[in-house]
Amino acid sequence: MFGYRLARRDKPLPGGQFLAFAIGLAVALVAGAILLVATGFNPIEIYIEMADSAFGGSQAISNTLTQAVPLGLAGLAVAVAGSMGLWNIGAEGQIIAGAIAGTWIARLGPDLPGPLLIVIMLVAAVVGGGLLALGPAIAKAHLGVNEIITTLMLNEIALRLVRYLVNGPWQDPTAIGFPVAPVLPEQAALPTLFSRANVGVIIAAIVLVIFGVFASRSKWGFELRVAGSSAQAAEYVGISLRAKIMTVLILSGAIAGLAGGIRLTSSDRIVEGIAEGWGFAGIIVAALALMRPSGVALVAIAFGALRVGGTAIQTQGVSDSISEIIQALVLMGALAAAVFTAYEITRSGSGTGVPTGAESISGSAEASAEATP
Amino acid sequence: MTQETIVGLLVSVLEFGTLLYLAALGETIAEKAGVLNLGVEGMMAVGAMASFWIGAETGNPWLALLFAVVVTAAFSLIHGLASVVIGADQVVSGLALTILGLGLAAFFGQSLALTTVLSTARFSALDLGPLSDIPWIGETLFSIDALSWLALSLGAVTWFVLTRTRMGLSLRAVGESAATADAAGTKVAATRLTAVAIGGGFAGAAGTYLSLVLSPGWSEGATGGLGWIAVALVIFGAWKPGRVLFGSLLFGGLIALGPRLQTFRCQDGEDIACLNFDADPTLVSMLPYILTVIVLIILSVRSRNRPSIAPAAIGLAYRREER
Repeated sequence: MFGYRLARRDKPLPGGQFLAFAIGLAVALVAGAILLVATGFNPIEIYIEMADSAFGGSQAISNTLTQAVPLGLAGLAVAVAGSMGLWNIGAEGQIIAGAIAGTWIARLGPDLPGPLLIVIMLVAAVVGGGLLALGPAIAKAHLGVNEIITTLMLNEIALRLVRYLVNGPWQDPTAIGFPVAPVLPEQAALPTLFSRANVGVIIAAIVLVIFGVFASRSKWGFELRVAGSSAQAAEYVGISLRAKIMTVLILSGAIAGLAGGIRLTSSDRIVEGIAEGWGFAGIIVAALALMRPSGVALVAIAFGALRVGGTAIQTQGVSDSISEIIQALVLMGALAAAVFTAYEITRSGSGTGVPTGAESISGSAEASAEATP
Repeated sequence: MTQETIVGLLVSVLEFGTLLYLAALGETIAEKAGVLNLGVEGMMAVGAMASFWIGAETGNPWLALLFAVVVTAAFSLIHGLASVVIGADQVVSGLALTILGLGLAAFFGQSLALTTVLSTARFSALDLGPLSDIPWIGETLFSIDALSWLALSLGAVTWFVLTRTRMGLSLRAVGESAATADAAGTKVAATRLTAVAIGGGFAGAAGTYLSLVLSPGWSEGATGGLGWIAVALVIFGAWKPGRVLFGSLLFGGLIALGPRLQTFRCQDGEDIACLNFDADPTLVSMLPYILTVIVLIILSVRSRNRPSIAPAAIGLAYRREER
């Protein structure tokens, strides 16, 4: 009679997602500590070293920001599609496509002056990423083909394409048998910003701000959210779903392609592992950020720090996979914590705690969500 | 092309087919219950690492299999809890499971990288006596190992349970319309969790096959995209165990063919069935993924005028209070 029960909140708890992220991070760090203890490491020492390598000094911060760039752009790519309820699981492949397109330009015009070459390479990367998303976009918009699987398959196809290129047509003749492409021309490297960070940080920040503003303030962003919440509502107010699906998915691919272009111009050549799991991590970033560009930036920096930290502790014999484990656990922890931002505990049967949400009034909810009998 | 190379190819087809079938069958069960699990790649890695570890420690492949199946089933329940109980997006939590699984397998498998496993700890071909002496068939079909036979029987059992039993009917009902199944008295969450765990166990068996038969050993990245092919196979096979078997052998064939193409190149003095062009193994390895996309498009176009063959509730979380 006077039990407590979970009722869905009318509105999510303000700041709830930040809280969920913090709880998720705490859960992940505790779980990571257990793993470290189990394998004979001192978790406090390891975590301190991770934090120091990611935030201690300008070089550390530059490393963190460098990792945050592809994470943020991949996260934004997923978020742009996600804000319309579409899943671009193909950021990994689109990053590769971007890097391939950029490399192709560098091979065509190795003698172009630096700034021009870089700009054309990045534009090509954007086009390359967008092109890889074109197929899934057409299939989704015009034939209703599930974009999750098509983009997922294209990851594997893009991965094999770059493997083919660096093992075959693009193989460096001087690297006897090694599957690497020749080094890019020197002027194809993005200029340094500070310490080890380059201009890619600025580019990513600008892109994130532009989309942040567009998503929340423009008609375009509004239509996107309408289309995402109800296809029928969108059609009713005259939003062309097909056109929206096309633009959103291609744009999403283009942003991921830009990430590939920036990675390429931040390294000396294209390699098979150019995407390094950034595309997949971008999905976690976007999910944690609830598909909001501002959140994407914050989560990307946090995950960038985790990646830098993970690499740093390898010298102590700890597998760098600990950073991937923590990233995935942050999401799982945050998903669990999100229950408390979406639901509230109310007294039932007392008459005062009757929730206003229509969906929680039904009798079956009483039965299923009864916390104590 | 000699008989030897053809037999070698066929054996390899059966091996890759077995691995893919185990994983795809598990995914079929989960998806039939309405839970898309994109964690197959990670689950397979966990299973491969776990079974190799126990195989190397004990030398007993069956113990290794059991351990891997239990561990991977338990591991898959992370996705089950997140997507079924909490109601999180299945895509997100499945992908997180893959990242987590690859990370955990790499973390715990770090010290196993240089370990080798005794040949007694591997599943070897079943001794079928005179059957194995039959030319062609004996050297291929009747030389497969116990796990391949197990996979085949599991396929038959899965088909039977899904289509001919009440349990299977409940599972499919939950995957078609959770609310309707709930109203009919089926425990939605329990059914879905069970399906996810069974799918995880199957993926663990696939991982075992990888690290104890196909390429004995463990290294980071050993799964190399095979888990994604398993996800693709479920669609390719239209959620039907029989068709998934056909797809597994077809895709297994494509994978097995890739690295062998070189040996099929025409040489002087040979005229039967050989390739007189260069086919790049890496490009050939794209074919399963390209085929899946094509099949997916065909299925989508066909299903425009008739009910979709995909489980209707796939990807949808079920919250009773929102019914």
